[in-house]
Amino acid sequence: SGTARASIASPLPSALATARIIDDLGRVSYPEGIKSPKVELNINAKDSKFRYDRDFLLQFMKVCKEKPDMLPPLDAIGLEPVDQPNYPMTRGGSGRHRQSSNA
Amino acid sequence: NEDGEVQEVDMQAQAEGIRTVFNDPTNFNVKHPLYSSWTLWFDSPATKGRNLPQTPISAFPQTPLPQTPGPAAAHGWMEDIKRVISFDSVEEFWGLYNNIVPPSQLPPKANYYLFKEGIIPAWEDDANKNGGKWSIQLPKDKNRGNVDNFWLYTMLAAIGETFDPELTTADPAGPPPESLITGVIVSTRPQFYRISIWTRLSPASGAEDDPLRQRIERIGRHFKTGVLGYQENQKLNAPLATEVEFLSHKDSEKKGKGAKKIVV
Repeated sequence: SGTARASIASPLPSALATARIIDDLGRVSYPEGIKSPKVELNINAKDSKFRYDRDFLLQFMKVCKEKPDMLPPLDAIGLEPVDQPNYPMTRGGSGRHRQSSNA
Repeated sequence: NEDGEVQEVDMQAQAEGIRTVFNDPTNFNVKHPLYSSWTLWFDSPATKGRNLPQTPISAFPQTPLPQTPGPAAAHGWMEDIKRVISFDSVEEFWGLYNNIVPPSQLPPKANYYLFKEGIIPAWEDDANKNGGKWSIQLPKDKNRGNVDNFWLYTMLAAIGETFDPELTTADPAGPPPESLITGVIVSTRPQFYRISIWTRLSPASGAEDDPLRQRIERIGRHFKTGVLGYQENQKLNAPLATEVEFLSHKDSEKKGKGAKKIVV
């Protein structure tokens, strides 16, 4: 350690790192307004191998926003967004496009 | 100065309880495990030749079959594909999703590969070599507004393990059944997007009553209607667009000669 971890917003260990794996979905109760996973997907579930329907999963979108500690800087792996709104349509397969030739 | 402020949480009162991220977004104590662990990979012209977080193929738990040329043959293919992250819970998936570039914002000729941990996104992997893929091609100009949701819903069906309906009906006394899905891919090209679902197996015969073919077709129909939201009999073929169609990897290698496509 001693490495500066400036990108981490919270000095506390993230809940994600310490949370334990649910082993029985039936024992979890969700707050009012939150749907439980569809029961029929997990009739024979065991060993914490659960299946989840889309509606259940989508409920996490607005809640789980924290950037994962293990996510590398995206530009280091060449994963950078293009400026889509101004992106010119190329027709006729000329293959030319804006600012994509950095080789 | 708020920096030193300590959050006062009644830890003891809640210590015994199960707190999901919905009960307490910052102090939850359980997470939802996925059926499988997953790894996200990425490549684009910009990743080629970069030797930054290189992904040594040897770092992956290949099924050890040293006499087969498979993993070695995949090595060149995998050289430019970057491993982004692995995750095994619903909560981690969304943390990734909310901090990464959606397909509509990717440059042309980029690919995301979301595969089960230990399976590399290559035909040569033992989990893929006897398999095939469902795929759909979508013209870019008409689908810029759809592709991000299509890809999200495809990922959710993959990590939620709802593509393969066989998993619910398996004998509870036996081991957890193996899903046919190995991974999902979104590809951006100058004029179209493609989304693919890779399967472990592909039907050997064209017989309609082959149980494997029926299982594969159920995956394709779920992809078309449940995931992408098309009507069962909707025709999608158009300039730069394809139907939802299945092709074995072996037939893909033949480049169309004698290829037996299944269409739903």
